[in-house]
Amino acid sequence: MESKMSKTLADVRNNKWFKLASANSVILVAVLVIIAAWIMEPKTFMTAQNWVNILRSNATVGILAFGMTFVIISGEIDLSVGSALVAIGAITMFVLNVTGSVFVAVLIALVVGALFGTMTGFIVAKGRVPSFIVTLGLMYIYRSVSMYYMKGGGFFGEVEGYKAISNTLVGGFLPLPIIYFAILVAACVYLAKYTKLGRHIYAVGSNKKSARLSGINTDKIKILTFMLMGLAVALASIIETSRMNSINATSSGQGYEMNAIAMAVLGGASMAGGRGTMIGTLFGILIMGIINNILTLIGVDPFLVNAIKGLIVILAVLLQTKEKDR
Amino acid sequence: MAAETILKMHKINKSFTGVKVLKDVDLEIKKGEIHALLGENGAGKTTLMNILGGVIGKDSGSIYLNGQAVDIHSPAEAYQQGIAFIHQELNVINDLPVYENMFLGNEITGKLGRLNAREMIRETQKVFDHMEVDLDPRAMVRDLDFSYKQIIEIAKAIRADARLIIMDEPTTSLREAEIKHVFALMRTLKSRGTTFIFISHKLNEVVEICDRFTVLRNGKKIIDDDITDGEGNTVTVEQIARYMVGKDVLGVEVYEPRDVGEVVLEVDNLRVEHHVKGVSFQLHRGEILGFTGLLGDGKSELIRAIFGDIKPSGGTIRKNGMPLKVRIPARARKQKIGLIPSNRKENGIVADLTTKENLTLVALDKCIRRGTISYREERQTCQSYVEKLKISVADINNLITSLSGGNQQKVVIAKWIHDDPDVIMFLNPTQGVDVGAKNEIYKLIMEMAKRGIGVIVASDESQEIMKICDRAIVMYHGEVRGELTRERFSEESLMILSTGGSLK
Repeated sequence: MESKMSKTLADVRNNKWFKLASANSVILVAVLVIIAAWIMEPKTFMTAQNWVNILRSNATVGILAFGMTFVIISGEIDLSVGSALVAIGAITMFVLNVTGSVFVAVLIALVVGALFGTMTGFIVAKGRVPSFIVTLGLMYIYRSVSMYYMKGGGFFGEVEGYKAISNTLVGGFLPLPIIYFAILVAACVYLAKYTKLGRHIYAVGSNKKSARLSGINTDKIKILTFMLMGLAVALASIIETSRMNSINATSSGQGYEMNAIAMAVLGGASMAGGRGTMIGTLFGILIMGIINNILTLIGVDPFLVNAIKGLIVILAVLLQTKEKDR
Repeated sequence: MAAETILKMHKINKSFTGVKVLKDVDLEIKKGEIHALLGENGAGKTTLMNILGGVIGKDSGSIYLNGQAVDIHSPAEAYQQGIAFIHQELNVINDLPVYENMFLGNEITGKLGRLNAREMIRETQKVFDHMEVDLDPRAMVRDLDFSYKQIIEIAKAIRADARLIIMDEPTTSLREAEIKHVFALMRTLKSRGTTFIFISHKLNEVVEICDRFTVLRNGKKIIDDDITDGEGNTVTVEQIARYMVGKDVLGVEVYEPRDVGEVVLEVDNLRVEHHVKGVSFQLHRGEILGFTGLLGDGKSELIRAIFGDIKPSGGTIRKNGMPLKVRIPARARKQKIGLIPSNRKENGIVADLTTKENLTLVALDKCIRRGTISYREERQTCQSYVEKLKISVADINNLITSLSGGNQQKVVIAKWIHDDPDVIMFLNPTQGVDVGAKNEIYKLIMEMAKRGIGVIVASDESQEIMKICDRAIVMYHGEVRGELTRERFSEESLMILSTGGSLK
């Protein structure tokens, strides 16, 4: 009897699905969260409309989470993304209203985003200042200058066409931001797994010395990683400003950096660098989104929502740490 | 030699998940001796010492301390029995003064938990006086030479009244002068009755410092003997190595004479601040040029400056006659220069990447088709190197850390061969590698030279230089002290030059 017991246990351990599940604990957590949510709200949760809601309301922060995943894999952190989103948004709205051209506004947003990221990367790589410090400083600077410039208020769009970027429904129900998000996921997976830059980001984040001595220009990789982050912020900023047709100096982008970090970490990105996957982050985004959604659906006090999210992050990462030790 | 036995381990057995790692191992240590415990990686030395230190339990067998049977269940119990285990990774904190390190976790406190610094300093000084060590207890550890960290660990053990001190590869991170320093201290303590078990891969050090030795191979005791027998004959490094691997590996000849081509690398008056004071040399295609000297001679700084890892303060480097400015290793790589660095774990491998990803890291471009990494191409490349270099690996898609040290080193070498360099430079190429794998790496180096690559081997071990190099440059305090061609190689002449002497 006893030997039979242990044999079945070993069988379970060697089971393909068991291995898959323990190697991708974030997916397991996501599945559990979905099942729990479905049980709690059987009528509304599993509807197409609800999923569209979940995805649309998390597309912006989700895009930041993907940029953040690259930054974390490279062994760095970016605390400035929420404030940078506001600064870029302010510039975008200003350019939009002055030129009246949607195309110019979008182009400027992307260029400024790339410039912001490159600058951050440059200070981190060449100035040898920890990214935590650099981006903490930038976080204050972007927010403060934006508030000053917008006199504590906000800018509103005066060009009708700009709203279409986020508010068009494809086929009558699928908002465009979800499609941007899907394209971005595919692009990030490709970048991480199939390009030299992606491979080099992992190498630099895991062991900068070895990477450098393997002939990799580590400074360049760091700068490029922050540039990617900057582009992600610009994209998120465009979607956000188009959706609201405005930007607000105090409320826009508030806490986005921490949400993005939480999603990436939930997805298995290691703060020590070198580890993390795009698919993991995708599920990290879903988990956070679903929890937000279901807690609202079942009527939990909104003040408590963040506490539960915080708990889930800690639990999920605890689970991942256990695996690594084994 | 009728010294009493302080420790006897008898018929020790231990298995891990069904694999027997220790089979009826006996170990006998006499009071007041320095006893070398030797064996290849995986021979069971560490397991045996972990059992003695109470880190892990034994399956069967008995341990006698001063003739009495003891059972040691935890490191704390071992400590109480007077056994101190000094691990390779030292437990010393840079940001604290010496005396606080001495009392770490064990502080002398007064009222309200206030630290009694004066008392701790006095106690520390007392231990240092006993050890005849000249060191200010108030000095910050970060300002001290590396050897003092070892000395602080020993002092901690002495203060805890340890009579048997186990030292696991204490000299790997020390410079020559520092090693002398630690050895002198060990001799002093030995004369006062402290016993040492000394684990090391550096066999010449073993012969220098130890009184007796025990060799383990595949979990079995092969021999224990005196270093110097009654008639004054001393065991040789070659004999010990033969006991360790079971065959005559050091004697295997790998050197093959070759024709060398034109000059590929020319270094003129290269200087690196504090380290290299104007070195010039030429390297030919197909040549293996050795650099040796005692640690602190500047050879590794010289090599790293050529590779762009550190900034030279002057001088010129020419590759194929063209002047070369390398500010970062990426530029050196573009100029077809490669480097296999020392300290594989820190500088050689990327621990979070797989064996395959490590192997293609340098010349990843070769596996890229239209901007996309071709996994098929990458796998085939990796498999061909695994076969060619006889890398033993279960799955190339597992993390590189699943390989043994020797195999990891082969991957680090392979990633540069993959890049097709004209010049390849090695810094201590067989550091932390088994005796068996060492020879395979020497053969690889010989292969590369035969294919016309200019090879530089910088090594602290003169045997390594003598084994494979065509020519050797000996450095001393950042300068070239002498140059020898293969016919004139001898351990004596290399040693005379590296200690600053001259040959007639």
